[in-house]
Amino acid sequence: MAIVGTFAYEEDFLAAAKNLKSSGFDNISLLSPIPLEEAQEVLGLGKSPVRRFSLAGAIIGALSGFAMSVATALVFILPTGGRAIITVPPYLIITYEMTILFGVLFTLIGFHFVSGLPAWRDRPYLPSANIDRFLVVVENAAGDQVARAEAIIRQAGAEQIQHVEVDQ
Amino acid sequence: MFDHGQPSYAEVNKDVLSVMLVTGRGYWMLLGCTMSLAGIFFLMPWIYQLFVGVGAAGMNRNAVWGTYLSNFIFWIGLSHSGTLLSAVLHITNSQWRKSIYRSAEAMTLFSLMTAALFVMVHLGRVWYVHWSFPIPNQMGLWPNFRSPLMFDVMAITTYMIASSIFIYMGSVPDFAAVRDASTGLRRRLYTIFSFGWRGTAKEWHTLGWAYTFFAVFVIPLAVSVHSIVSWDFALSLVPGLHHTIFAPYFVCGAIFSGTAGIVTVMYCLRKFLNFERYIGQEHLDNLGKLLLVLSLIWSYINILELFNTWYGGTSFELEAMRFRLTGFYAPLYWEMILFCAFVPLLMFFKKIRLSWNKMLLLSILINIGMLTERFIIVATSQPRKFLPDAFGFYFPSWIEISITIGSFGIFATLFLIFIKWVPAVSIYEVKETLKPLRRDA
Repeated sequence: MAIVGTFAYEEDFLAAAKNLKSSGFDNISLLSPIPLEEAQEVLGLGKSPVRRFSLAGAIIGALSGFAMSVATALVFILPTGGRAIITVPPYLIITYEMTILFGVLFTLIGFHFVSGLPAWRDRPYLPSANIDRFLVVVENAAGDQVARAEAIIRQAGAEQIQHVEVDQ
Repeated sequence: MFDHGQPSYAEVNKDVLSVMLVTGRGYWMLLGCTMSLAGIFFLMPWIYQLFVGVGAAGMNRNAVWGTYLSNFIFWIGLSHSGTLLSAVLHITNSQWRKSIYRSAEAMTLFSLMTAALFVMVHLGRVWYVHWSFPIPNQMGLWPNFRSPLMFDVMAITTYMIASSIFIYMGSVPDFAAVRDASTGLRRRLYTIFSFGWRGTAKEWHTLGWAYTFFAVFVIPLAVSVHSIVSWDFALSLVPGLHHTIFAPYFVCGAIFSGTAGIVTVMYCLRKFLNFERYIGQEHLDNLGKLLLVLSLIWSYINILELFNTWYGGTSFELEAMRFRLTGFYAPLYWEMILFCAFVPLLMFFKKIRLSWNKMLLLSILINIGMLTERFIIVATSQPRKFLPDAFGFYFPSWIEISITIGSFGIFATLFLIFIKWVPAVSIYEVKETLKPLRRDA
């Protein structure tokens, strides 16, 4: 079961999140209509691993771009005006473009991998979180955790508290 | 920032989504007009050309490039400001970007698509277009990556993919807002488009990082794309084209025409989609200042190009310059100078920069000038190569003129479809510019 607290104000929402975190609740999600740095700090989200995907993509792209240029020149030999078959300067342009292409594609993969999206299964959510409300969701609450979590959320100034059954 | 009072968060959702979810008769009529323009002026002449061959165009032995390629450069140029401007302003954390970037990025994407169509029209036998990609085939034929045309294929394909991802990923939270506001099939579609977005801190955090990396990749990419387009010309030995200044000249011209295009699009969004509240005079003023600076840089590069030719003193280059300045197409050259170098100087006056009607007129004149610029580059250089026996003349046929007109129909059609599928103004980023939802606010 999940407990969903709805807040109208940002500071109440952040206070609830901080109190829950300091009371030992680790399984919480913070939903907001805009990105909030403070919410990310509460959850301890530092540097995102997405950046590693970007770097890996850029390196793989650079290597494959240059390799592709060389390989195509070798399998389809096209002598032009006595120039070398493998001509490095123009291949650097292809390398540059492929670095960016793979960097972008790997960043996209990184986004999906790190964020866990797409996720179309039922999860605690209210459409108001995409308009003008802030939600604190305590997931997998059981036993006395339910009462404790509810008390913290209510004390912080929640407008509404709901219990949601989620299929895991 | 907001001309008619600051809206609430809920009003932002309502205002932006109503443009998507409520469709009046005017929209369908306008879409019908743009589709007809595209069909009659672009598609039908192209089909005719496919039947009779590319000889139906005005290109000839001494002028193998014509309007199709000048239009290709124009549309690539128009694509430049959207994604580039959005990425630069995102990195620098400029707040005024947030209301206008989505439509500007869409402009990039649709301009690129239109530009890609011109390559296909120019090719003649379009069914062989896949030969330009490194795809294994039974002929053992592979592209020659020493050719600037292959640089183009790689750069434009990369730019199109990167721009699509950039605009799509920035729209994911807004797709979730559309999902929540709709029912039936639309809801199911937007559930898929939004990847099940809920707006958790982790999702925002990951999107923020990924989006910044997209922006970092897109900025050098955009600069490289138009540099590479310029090398299609500059890496040849043709007088009038073989200039080292071409890459910055093309990049500057592209951003210039793209920014003017943004002003035109912003005017239409304000006027016809009732976004007056979100696209205000601050945006117009900033875009006006940017246009002014770009115009001055563009003028400087033009003077430099003439100076280098004169100072170099090569007879072939001097003849190409003489033909450009005083030959058959001289009136077009001087029209370009008027519209792109002198008319933009009016933007020194704040009164002009703050007037939507005047800025619309200026933005259209600038883009007419830039369309002419691309035409002049193509039409006055190739037919003036070295020896007089290589001299020729190029004049576009009715098919080329018709396809040029029709391309605006294609762009407008794509844009009209876009505004019904994607929120034209970024909902969550506009909210970020509002006062936070705090008790003390």
